[in-house]
Amino acid sequence: MKLSLQRQMMENLIIARARQDALQRKMEERRLRLQEEANRRFAASGAMTVEEQEQRRLYTNVLEYEQDHDWPKLWKTSMKEYPDDVTLAPRLVSYLLSRSDHPVVKLLRKHQYSVYNRLYPIISSAAAHSPAPQPTPSHSDHSLLQTGQSTAVSSSPSPSRHNLHTSGEDEEEEEEPHTQALVEREHSFEDLEQFLTNLDWTPPEGSRIDDLCSDSNLTFDPAVLKECQVQELEMRALKEHLKAVVKDIHIAIDQLLSLALLSFECLNTAASKDLCLACIEEAFFTPLWTALVALFRKVNVEREQAFQSSMTLYREASPRDVGVSIKLFPPEPGTLQGSYPYECAVLELKLLLNDYCPQKKLECLIRTLRMICACAEDYRSLHDGDASPTTAAIGADDLLPILSFVALRSQCPQLVSECAALEEFIHEGYLIGEEGYCLTSLQSSLAYVESLHAAGAQLPPDTLL
Amino acid sequence: MAAGGAGSNKTYSFKVVLLGEGCVGKTSLVLRYCENKFNDKHITTLQASFLTKKLNIAGKRVNLAIWDTAGQERFHALGPIYYRDSNGAVLVYDITDEDSFQKVKNWVKELRKMLGNEICLCIVGNKIDLDKDRHVSVDEAERYAESVGAKHYHTSAKLNKGIEELFLDLCKRMMENAQADERLKGNGSSQSASSWRGVQIVDDDPQATPAGGCCSSG
Repeated sequence: MKLSLQRQMMENLIIARARQDALQRKMEERRLRLQEEANRRFAASGAMTVEEQEQRRLYTNVLEYEQDHDWPKLWKTSMKEYPDDVTLAPRLVSYLLSRSDHPVVKLLRKHQYSVYNRLYPIISSAAAHSPAPQPTPSHSDHSLLQTGQSTAVSSSPSPSRHNLHTSGEDEEEEEEPHTQALVEREHSFEDLEQFLTNLDWTPPEGSRIDDLCSDSNLTFDPAVLKECQVQELEMRALKEHLKAVVKDIHIAIDQLLSLALLSFECLNTAASKDLCLACIEEAFFTPLWTALVALFRKVNVEREQAFQSSMTLYREASPRDVGVSIKLFPPEPGTLQGSYPYECAVLELKLLLNDYCPQKKLECLIRTLRMICACAEDYRSLHDGDASPTTAAIGADDLLPILSFVALRSQCPQLVSECAALEEFIHEGYLIGEEGYCLTSLQSSLAYVESLHAAGAQLPPDTLL
Repeated sequence: MAAGGAGSNKTYSFKVVLLGEGCVGKTSLVLRYCENKFNDKHITTLQASFLTKKLNIAGKRVNLAIWDTAGQERFHALGPIYYRDSNGAVLVYDITDEDSFQKVKNWVKELRKMLGNEICLCIVGNKIDLDKDRHVSVDEAERYAESVGAKHYHTSAKLNKGIEELFLDLCKRMMENAQADERLKGNGSSQSASSWRGVQIVDDDPQATPAGGCCSSG
């Protein structure tokens, strides 16, 4: 009895093992077959670069995925069947991005994770030094992720000079709180967090400040150097880090787009490609923007401070004080009943901080400038009555002073950093369009506002120009 | 933005900056140009600050984006970010105002410094309806324009004179520049992001670059 049972168990075990081997062999065969298919697909190019190898590997994953899932095939068929249905492409893209096991989405998470990892040590050091009651790592992390945009600069106008040196040591201790804090972050980071726990968090080498400094050949001994020099070096390191992160993001998005287009060739038309890019960007930036802009704010801290000073100085300023033509705001403040000129544009501009994707922000900016033009027209008609409404339209000579006034009234120094970030991530195609024009105008106005406080209360009387 | 289609496979997109002091009438000038007789929908909701116009020149489609800039001194610090990637510049002065002509000279210097010879410059003496009050001599203006490699035009926004010609001429020059640029680069050479010089290739070839998607997306 006992013996026969043992034998049976043994046999079962052998059968199971054989089955597993067979399965593995089969998987391996399939993998090779798909690899070959991927190789054929890329056969045109002779010598392969590292990127091409990576691309090939990713494409193999896509083929593998398509063996196991039917939906890509079904979508491709319906795209072919109904080429005129314009709703198909957007639906396909959003479906694709909702499949967390698809290689495109996996790649998206991987890139987001690595960008976040590069941002985290830097923005967390800013939070750790904010005047929080208990500066324990977990607490500072909470404040970082909850207060979002306002952490890095406004809570600590003069960031500590030494945090860069300590942040390296903090890193190991902060491993745990890091993942915890991510759970706290709204749903947008849920996926990322899951990904993170699956991977065992190991801080990548490049994200350490010490490495960062040695990367850029900045070897220094803090004890010897004067404080201002340390600050300067620190800023240089931060700027280089920012540049590297921006570059990584561009590469990541390019890679994601090409993998998505490889997976669904039917999306490779001018219109669908734009759409695909927009969706990828939205998915990519939304969970990262807060952390990303925090780094931009660290780099632009001086400009934000200048903006803040002008803001305080000109809190009660009238449009006239920043050079708006008399005809373009109501003659008496009383006519607006508790409101102030261009209030709707100010409110719209403030909403820019609530979006987490560059494209959305640019749309908000366009709405702001359009509102300014519409308001200006209304105010002018208050002066002119109905006479000659078309003879003069708002040109840049009028627009910039009004926009400066609107920016002042918005009371958001963070706009400085937001614009700097938008400049990096605006599409080339949009650069010469309305988006580009609005962004350039806002940047110009912000620079003017920043310069205001230096000029003091006495505004140069060139307002009549 | 890129409207693909059969026939010609190329659309040129050009950026033109508009420069000039406050009272020289650059706003009226550009409004005149963009308020088409047949269709006045060209005026965007940003009014005269940012205007677009679609043209068809010698069978090629041209999209023109006209960027107005502020003439006031205090906004000049950020001037260069307006000029960036411009294919052309229209520099307007008032023929009755010597000072406005001097300002044009300053802008020319700045533009050449920033953009080299790649940018097509147009120097425009506006308000020729007020010729009796002229303070900038035709001779001087034209000589100056020639000396800096710019073309000189006379316009009147009030009488709608010379404006159409000015922009048509500018477009043709920008197209020549772009075509020369293409020839120089050859066709297959990789276009980096910064080499966006107004030439937008509407690519209808479905499988042009299946593998090398990592380098540029537009």
